Amino acid sequence: MFLDFVEGPLWYAAAAVFLVGVAWRLAAIARAGLKEDLSVPRTAGAPGAVATVFRRFLPHREFMRPAAFQMVAGYAFHIGLFVLVLFAAPHVEFIEQRILGFGWTPAPHWVFLLAANFAFAGLLLLWLRRMLDPVLRRISTLDDHIGTGLTFVVMFTGCMALFESHDFLRALHMLFVDLLLIYFPFSRLMHAFTFILSRGFTGATMARKGVSA
Amino acid sequence: MGKKSPEAAGRRRRMMYRALALMLAAVLLLPLVPYAVAYVGGITNPNPGADLWRQVRQRETPPEVRTQVRGVDTGVLINARGESWRQFRMEQLIPWSGWFLGGMLVAIALFYLLRGRIRIDKGRSGILVQRFTVNQRLAHWFMAVVFTILGLTGLVLLYGRFVLIPLLGPEGFSVTAAACKEIHNLFGPIFPLAVLLILFYFVRGNGFRGVDFKWLAKGGGLLGGHASAGHFNMGQKLWFWGTLLFGLSLVVSGLILDFPVFGQGRPVMEWAHFSHGIAAVLFIGGAFAHSYIGTLGMEGALEAMTHGTVDANWAKEHHDLWYAQMEAEGKVGAVPGQEAPASSGSPETAGG
Amino acid sequence: MARMKFLCDAERCIECNGCVTACKNEHEVPWGVNRRRVVTINDGEPGERSMSVACMHCSDAPCAAVCPVDCFYTTEDGVVLHDKDICIGCGYCFYACPFGAPQFPTAGAYGSRGAMDKCTFCGGGPEPDGSAEEFKKYGRNRLSEGRLPLCAEMCSTKALLAGDGDKVSDIFRERVTYRGIGTLAWGWGVAYGKGGVRQSSGLGGKASSTKE
Repeated sequence: MFLDFVEGPLWYAAAAVFLVGVAWRLAAIARAGLKEDLSVPRTAGAPGAVATVFRRFLPHREFMRPAAFQMVAGYAFHIGLFVLVLFAAPHVEFIEQRILGFGWTPAPHWVFLLAANFAFAGLLLLWLRRMLDPVLRRISTLDDHIGTGLTFVVMFTGCMALFESHDFLRALHMLFVDLLLIYFPFSRLMHAFTFILSRGFTGATMARKGVSA
Repeated sequence: MGKKSPEAAGRRRRMMYRALALMLAAVLLLPLVPYAVAYVGGITNPNPGADLWRQVRQRETPPEVRTQVRGVDTGVLINARGESWRQFRMEQLIPWSGWFLGGMLVAIALFYLLRGRIRIDKGRSGILVQRFTVNQRLAHWFMAVVFTILGLTGLVLLYGRFVLIPLLGPEGFSVTAAACKEIHNLFGPIFPLAVLLILFYFVRGNGFRGVDFKWLAKGGGLLGGHASAGHFNMGQKLWFWGTLLFGLSLVVSGLILDFPVFGQGRPVMEWAHFSHGIAAVLFIGGAFAHSYIGTLGMEGALEAMTHGTVDANWAKEHHDLWYAQMEAEGKVGAVPGQEAPASSGSPETAGG
Repeated sequence: MARMKFLCDAERCIECNGCVTACKNEHEVPWGVNRRRVVTINDGEPGERSMSVACMHCSDAPCAAVCPVDCFYTTEDGVVLHDKDICIGCGYCFYACPFGAPQFPTAGAYGSRGAMDKCTFCGGGPEPDGSAEEFKKYGRNRLSEGRLPLCAEMCSTKALLAGDGDKVSDIFRERVTYRGIGTLAWGWGVAYGKGGVRQSSGLGGKASSTKE
C-alpha cells in the first residue's frame, strides 16, 4: 500500500514537479537573456563556449594541486552515482517498465558494488569537508546540506533495499527518490543541468574577448 | 627294488597319515597366521564401516572425493568444524561480548558518576592553539561515520535475534536485518580507505616515548593528578595503534567474508568470522571509551576535532609537553585555519 | 507423530544421481542450487562408496541455532523448514551445517546472494499447503499429499530411505541382518544424536566387531 503510493501517485507527482520545475528554471535562465556585446568579438563565441564546457572537467593547471581533493572525491562520487543511477539492475528494470519502455544491459554485481563504494566514499568525504573546512563551512548554506543529505539518504536507503525481498525497503527508497525529485529543481542540485550554461557563458565571453580560459 | 615288507608298508602308511595330519593342520592354522601377525605386529584388520566413517568425518587425511555437483565444499560429507563455529558464536562470542560491551558502558557510567566531567581547571583562557588540520579532522570523521554505520549494523546482526526480535517481531526484524546486512556489506569495502586515511594523517607523533610509560603509570591522570604528555598521550597512542591493528584484522577478514566468490571454503570463512567478531567487539568497546572521553567526559576536547583548535589552558593541562613545544615555536594563538575565511577574528570558534 | 528421517545406505548407493535429478525436477530448483548431491569416496579404488547427501533434518539443528533472524522451525514431523520471507541470505547456516545442505541462489537483479534454499523433506514451507506461492519458494509439498520425498521414492537401489525414523531403521536393521556385515547408516549420529537408533540397533558409525 505504502509502496503503491510512493511508486504510483507520489512518483507521478514528483516526476511532474521535476520535469516542469527543471524546464521552468532553464526557461527562466534563458529568458533572463544576455547583455548585448557591443564590442567586436576577437574570436567566435560558440566554439569557445563548447571548448570551455569540456575544458572545465579538469581544474586549471595552476589549481590542480589545491583542487586535487575535490577532483578525486568529486569524480569518485559523480561517476559512481551515474553508474548506480543508470546501470543498477533494478534501476534499468524500473526505467524499462515505468519510464522509457526499453532498457539496456545492467552492470554486473561487482561493478555496481565498486560504483556504490566510490559514490559513498566520495560523497561522505566531500560532505564532511564541507562541514570541517573553515572556508567551505562559511560559504555553505542550508540548501547545500539538504541537497547532499537527501542524495546520501537516497543512496543509503537504496543500498538498504539491495536484498530486494522486502517491499517496505523498496518503498522507503522510492519515498526519498520522490522527495529528491521534488526538491531538485529548486536547489543547487540544478547544477546537473546548469553547469553547461554557466561554463558555456564563461567560455563564450572569454572567447569573444580573445582570452584563453 | 625288492619285495616290500609289511614293515615298510606300515612305515609308509604312517608317513602318509603324518603328511595328511600336517596338511590338515596347515589348512586349519595357516589362515590364522595373519591374525597372529596382527596380534603380534599390530596390523589393523581393515573394516569397511570404520574406514568409511573415518573418511566421512575426515578425521584423517581427506579421502579422494568426487561429486557431480559443482560448488564450494560440495565434496565435504560432514563438516566437523561447523559445530565448533556454532559453539564459538552462540556460546562464546554473543554472551561474552555482550558482557564485555555492557560492562564497558557500565564502567563508563560509573566513571562519570565518580569523576564527573573533567573540567579545565583554570578555566578557558580564550587563547586558541591549532591542534588538528582539516585533513586530520576529515580522516577522523570519515572513519567515525563509516565505523558507526558498520558497527551499528554489525551489532544488529549479532544481537538482533535476542534483543530486537522480541521488540519488532520476526518480520519486522527481518526487514531491519536485511537492510543492515546490505549496508554492512556495502560499506565494508569503504572501511579500508578510512583506516588508510587514519594511518596517513595520524602516524606522526604516535611513536612511543619514555614519557608515555610515566603517563601510563600515573593512570593518565584519569583519577586525578597530572600526567605529562606530548601531542598524543599514551591512551591516544594505544587507541591509534589499536585502530590500525583491529582495522587491519577487520579489513582482511571482512573482505574474505564479503566476497565469497573466490571459492574460499567454510574453514576459511569460519576463521574470518572468528577474527572479525573478536576484533570488532574489542574495537567497539574501545570506541565507547574513546567517544565518551572525547565528548561528555572532558571539557574542551571535542572542539579539537570539530574546529581543530583547543584552548591554551586545556593544552597545558592535558598535553603540557606539546603546549611547551607550540609555545617555543610561537604557534600559540596563531590559528592558521581560521585566518582564511575572514580577516576579522572568528569569535564563534572560541566557544567550541 | 512420525519423526521423519533420511537414511543413506552406503553399501547400496551406486552414484546414479537419480535422487539429485528427481529433486531438481520435482521442485524446479533454480540454477546453481542442488538440494541433494551424491558424494563418492575413493572413486575407482577398492572401498569406493557413494552417499547421497541433503539436509538431514537434525534434531538439534545447528542452522536454526546460528540463524541471526531465527527463520527456522521444526514441524511436528521433525522436518526442519525455514521461512524465505524472513531469511536474509547471510550464509551462517551453511557454515554451521555438518552436511553442507543450505544453498544460496544468485538471485535478484543484482546477482547478490538470495534467500537460502534447502531440502524441505518435500514438506514445503510456511505458506498454505499446496499453494502456488509455496511451490515457487519451496517446491512441491508432497508430505501434505501423504507422500514421501521423491528422491527416496525414485532411488533405484533403495539405498536412500526416507520416512518415519522407526520404520526406516527397521528396514535397515533387517537389511544388515541379512547382509551379515554391519555398515553405517552414515550421518545418523551427527543428525539425530548419539543415543537412540545408533546405539540400540548397532547400526551406527562404529565398526562392527572384527571377531565376526
